[in-house]
Amino acid sequence: MVVLSADAATGLAVCLDGERRRRTVETALLEDVRPGQTLLVHAGTALARDAA
Amino acid sequence: MRFVQEFRDPALGRALAGEILASVEPGRTYKLMEVCGGHTHSIYRYGIDGMLPDEVELVHGPGCPVCVLPMGRVDDGIALAHEPNVIFTCFGDMMRVPGSNGSLLEAKAQGADVRMVYSPLDALAIARRNPDREVVFFAIGFETTAPSTALTLRRAKAEGIANFSCMSNHVTIVPPLRALLDSPGLEIDGFIGPGHVCTVVGARPFGFIPAEHGRPFVISGFEPLDVLQSIGMLLAQIAQGRCEVENQYARVVPWEGNARALEVMAEVFELRPHFEWRGLGFISQSALKLSDAYAELDAELRFGVPGVRVADPKACQCGEVLKGAIKPWECKVFGTACTPERPIGTCMVSPEGACAAYYTYGRYARERGISV
Repeated sequence: MVVLSADAATGLAVCLDGERRRRTVETALLEDVRPGQTLLVHAGTALARDAA
Repeated sequence: MRFVQEFRDPALGRALAGEILASVEPGRTYKLMEVCGGHTHSIYRYGIDGMLPDEVELVHGPGCPVCVLPMGRVDDGIALAHEPNVIFTCFGDMMRVPGSNGSLLEAKAQGADVRMVYSPLDALAIARRNPDREVVFFAIGFETTAPSTALTLRRAKAEGIANFSCMSNHVTIVPPLRALLDSPGLEIDGFIGPGHVCTVVGARPFGFIPAEHGRPFVISGFEPLDVLQSIGMLLAQIAQGRCEVENQYARVVPWEGNARALEVMAEVFELRPHFEWRGLGFISQSALKLSDAYAELDAELRFGVPGVRVADPKACQCGEVLKGAIKPWECKVFGTACTPERPIGTCMVSPEGACAAYYTYGRYARERGISV
């Protein structure tokens, strides 16, 4: 999913999934999540960044 | 979609398939197990097995969390769903999994308040909106989804949301692999490793496979070029006499995994002494329950569950499919009595199940007598 906005205080981000739906994603497991990054998300939680 | 289309290029796929063909040693065969159900889905969806030489056979492993859930746990969940005042929440692919007396979808039709959620956070939001109801989250999955459940339970505890609880069916991938590798007569030459699990646990937990069992292990991404490249890396190891853990999915998987995820899992969960796996029986320390610090949020303790062990239907051969002993189409009920619309076995329910993936993508080509 691609990050649209991220809130470090709440540990949540708004992301766009592969079908262009907005999803709220838990980002507490990653440091420094920023708009534009592509995240690997499982069950609503970002596990990793895609660094391709 | 960024980082997706690049890994579906047909020309590059054909080139990788050509490299695989060139690396096959004349006169020998290769049996490779894709551990994760996500790989099974990709293999059938993109016709990867049809791009491989006859000498390379892909075998499905136990990495579909819905598929390995025993019928008794489904029954336990349905019993919880029928508890008065309970809102029962679960992922969508759990809804149609058959228990011994129906599914959660049928329980919903009978009046139980069963709701599908996208994430455990959604279940927690339902609990916030319904403070006079008990909200139970039926958690399933490997190490990919366990961190999500753990973070949600940590939030629930921090916010003091007392009407939320979790029935954990989380399992871990290494113990069933050990069980498979220890089973007599195993004829697997290498493993396509579960890329998403490895984003959490890293590569190290799989080191025992080459070290103790002499089989190469390549952590793989899920796009067709990822899978083809991983197969090529396995064949290269075999050809060169190497046997190690390699990481094809390095753009996502750090060698050490995700330390924060491991930390929250260790805080919220502890290993069960044993857990039943469909087709594999009881495996020691292969599943997660809530730790003592989170016992107040454990639905099994809050409500009590029947905990009855239920045998699989005799006609169903999911167990054999999950061990790689038979192919989906070799099951007696595949595509006849057991279909995605009316599944008998779990492997036909989840999109990651080998039977569902083959039914959806592979059977037409097979019926037409052409390679997939």
